[in-house]
Amino acid sequence: MLGTWLFQIVTLLFLLTACAFFLGEYMAKVFAGERTFISPILAPVENFLYKLFGIDPNEDMNWKTFAMNVIFFIFVGMIALFFLLRMQDSLPLNLNNFKAIRWDAAINAAISFVTNSDWQPYKSEAVMSYLTRMLGMGLQNFLSAATGMAVAVALINAFVRKNTPGIGNFWVYLTRSIIYVLLPLSIVLSLFLVSQGSIANLNPYVHIKTLEGKEQIIAQGPAAPQIAIKQLGTSGGGFFAANSAHPYENPTPITDYVNILALLLIAAAFPFAFGALIKDRSQGWAIFIAMMLLFIIGLWFVIWSELHGNPLLTKLGIHNGVNMEGKEVRFGPLASAFFANSATATSAGAASSSYDSLMPLTGIVLIFNMAIGEVIFGGVGSGFIGMMFYVMLTMFLIGLMIGRSPEVYGKKLEAYEMIMIVSALFLPCALQLILSAIAVSISAGTSSLGNPTFHGLSEVIYAYASGVGNNGSAFAGLKADTPFYNLTIAFAMLAGYLITIIPALAVAGSITQKNSSPLATRFPTNRPLFILVLVGIIFIIGALTFFPALVLGPVVEHLYILSGKTF
Amino acid sequence: MIHKRVLWSSKFILPAIKQAFIKLNPLFLWRNIIMFVVEVGAAATLIIAAMHFFAGIPYNFDLYISIWLWFTVLFANFAESLAEGKGKAQAESLKHGRSDVYAQRVKPDTESEVESVPALMLKKGDIVIITDGMMIPSDGEIIEGVALIDESAITGESAPVVREAGGDKTGVTGGTKVLSGTIKVEIRTNPGETFIDQMIGMIESSKRQKTPNEVALEIFLISSMILFIVVIITLFLFGVYLDFKISTTVLIALLVCLIPTTIGGLLPAIGIAGMDRLLSYNVIALNGRAVEAAGDVNVVLLDKTGTITLGNRLATEFIAAPGITEKELARFAMLSSLADDTPEGRSIVILAKEKLQIHGRDIRSPVGAKFIGFRAETRMSGIDVNEVLAKLYFRQR
Repeated sequence: MLGTWLFQIVTLLFLLTACAFFLGEYMAKVFAGERTFISPILAPVENFLYKLFGIDPNEDMNWKTFAMNVIFFIFVGMIALFFLLRMQDSLPLNLNNFKAIRWDAAINAAISFVTNSDWQPYKSEAVMSYLTRMLGMGLQNFLSAATGMAVAVALINAFVRKNTPGIGNFWVYLTRSIIYVLLPLSIVLSLFLVSQGSIANLNPYVHIKTLEGKEQIIAQGPAAPQIAIKQLGTSGGGFFAANSAHPYENPTPITDYVNILALLLIAAAFPFAFGALIKDRSQGWAIFIAMMLLFIIGLWFVIWSELHGNPLLTKLGIHNGVNMEGKEVRFGPLASAFFANSATATSAGAASSSYDSLMPLTGIVLIFNMAIGEVIFGGVGSGFIGMMFYVMLTMFLIGLMIGRSPEVYGKKLEAYEMIMIVSALFLPCALQLILSAIAVSISAGTSSLGNPTFHGLSEVIYAYASGVGNNGSAFAGLKADTPFYNLTIAFAMLAGYLITIIPALAVAGSITQKNSSPLATRFPTNRPLFILVLVGIIFIIGALTFFPALVLGPVVEHLYILSGKTF
Repeated sequence: MIHKRVLWSSKFILPAIKQAFIKLNPLFLWRNIIMFVVEVGAAATLIIAAMHFFAGIPYNFDLYISIWLWFTVLFANFAESLAEGKGKAQAESLKHGRSDVYAQRVKPDTESEVESVPALMLKKGDIVIITDGMMIPSDGEIIEGVALIDESAITGESAPVVREAGGDKTGVTGGTKVLSGTIKVEIRTNPGETFIDQMIGMIESSKRQKTPNEVALEIFLISSMILFIVVIITLFLFGVYLDFKISTTVLIALLVCLIPTTIGGLLPAIGIAGMDRLLSYNVIALNGRAVEAAGDVNVVLLDKTGTITLGNRLATEFIAAPGITEKELARFAMLSSLADDTPEGRSIVILAKEKLQIHGRDIRSPVGAKFIGFRAETRMSGIDVNEVLAKLYFRQR
């Protein structure tokens, strides 16, 4: 079993590298405004959209204008989605007569989808109408992903340009991200999913009689297109509550394979697009390899932990004690673990199994993937942004170590950049710890816990790591659809989103005005040494910050399991 | 220069040890926030140890941690004091060298009565008289007289220059030397603003300007410290939730392990050491940015006029207007420059000879022509030829 699995993983990672490389080259062309093979069809659409919204595509924004436009766009999306959720009972396409969503849940859902988190404490097929899911969730899956991509492109621009305040035009990057990248890919993917048995209809729910004679309701809906974009756009909000464990979302082993590829694809293409845009492809490779290294380390740990199994189950006569409870039984524990690692490393938060049922040490890896800021591929755009912050921090420390003025890709790093780097990297860490501590300290928080012990602590830490990291996956078991969790997690998602995007734009605005130093004087950022230091720094910062808390949660749990105790 | 081996002499060590204890004062230590946090931790664990002692509970662990933390702070203070002591010694030697220069200051409210004062005492607005062979004591402007000044110490130009009152050549710089002439100079800088003062200020840590990287690094260190304080506080709260009493001493010890104590403690010493190292290469940094710029230097190129470049404007090409051949232009340019002995004029003649392939002896001045030599006032040179001769000359070509 293991051999087959390793073979599948290795081929998938190679396939990912190849696809990401070509997609990256293509994205570089798209964002540089060059013509591509698809331009004859899409360029008229693009120009029509600019005319329709009165956008001047040649306007070059400085970072403040850019940031104001992003924030305006996010808040308009949030308010629109909030009212859509509150008024779904009086809008069309509500075949099951669902009621309006409760206010706190509506706030949470609005923020969660606009920030590309897709935290879903509810069962979407049981509370939301088709219209809500198409016009609300489906639309925001595109827009939030495209927003992240637009900001990442602005940051890349800062390294391409010099001595100018402009970082590009938000609306142009937004439009191009959607119509050149997200839309074509998701059309292809959703057609593929339908061919494998996924559904896309507007039919009423099907009522059937099971063999036991009980009545069962099978939810229907326009699922396939939304599944495609939730994977590609790394938002991860399932069309059904079971997410990718639902047979309509993930019908066959092949879709499982393709879904994992789709999760990682655009995020992994960003380093390559970066390399192509700064006209030094080796830099893109270096960042990609650093991400891949972190991904493989996490994956190895996850597989080891799942195969190691639970000695308690071994005693019960289960082969190797491999825990199958809560796993995607069709595909096995390793497929579940691989999916889980991919979904938390990218900020997708999709799930093909119940993460609550993964082994404790697997849980550590998942929390770590999210808590360090979703930089192991990460969200589309946002993962690359987070990685760039780590790259800047690394280059700053390297500069001090070799006794040179710190610079990154030829641009000097000074106090202003440092303020932005530490706010983008440290504030989210502090925020998720503080919110977790509040949750376990007051009764509104502890009353929702399914397992009020070490595992409960893991659940709470996971929830806020997922919120701040804009991941959206959950250690189920935590009853999160309460006003307390809805509002605190909504705050976590919004704050986590803004304290990544605004410092990114501020840094871009500062760096784009700097001159570029000659190549010969730089510390090479395309060599193994740099990659290792980068991976090391990400690991050390994550470890120092989160291991004290994780020791009390998953690590204690692991030790309890080893000593054969349950609780 | 002070050598390394001297650093370990009791002259530096003993005052540094004393300073290490004086700097335990929280009011001083506040400036180095990371060490301040360690000191607070040390004090807290000491109090806990004392409370445990009086309550009859085992107190060894708390006491060990406390001693360990106190030593951490003391060591950081010691390193800083040692570096400071070394810097101060260098500043002293610089100051000593400067106090040798005396200036003839015109007493206030008099016309020409002078008094001898150390150059260090001169203030903005003071008037000094400088005669043959004297050093100019400070930066200023000539208000009376003319002098030939050797500015080689600053500009590297060995030829002396003329500076005189009135016009745009009135500025003189401290450290240059009057070769001949007597001038009255109005001082334009206050003590502490001159070049050498800035240098001393850089060495002494109290006035030391932080380098840009130091500022950036401090932002990183302080923010990571705040993050780790959050880690510790939340760890405590998680412990409370799990009914897991984590003792304050353990939390403090963990905090000190997490925060960047080593680099935070040694940062001031590192800053001073950087300045010292530059000085030992005879490089003087006037501000923090310069210290870092010096770190980026691989190769120093010195271009003194005459070594690599000529510093003179030379004619290299004749570009003739339409209707006139290059040779014609060259011939007339040569004639009009014959009386011009500036480098530009001579180079025109040389270039013309080369283009026309003639030698100096072939050059005949047209009969009846009159040369006009180059003068600074007119800023021109040339040749006057009468019309008939000019036409004849043209026909000759």
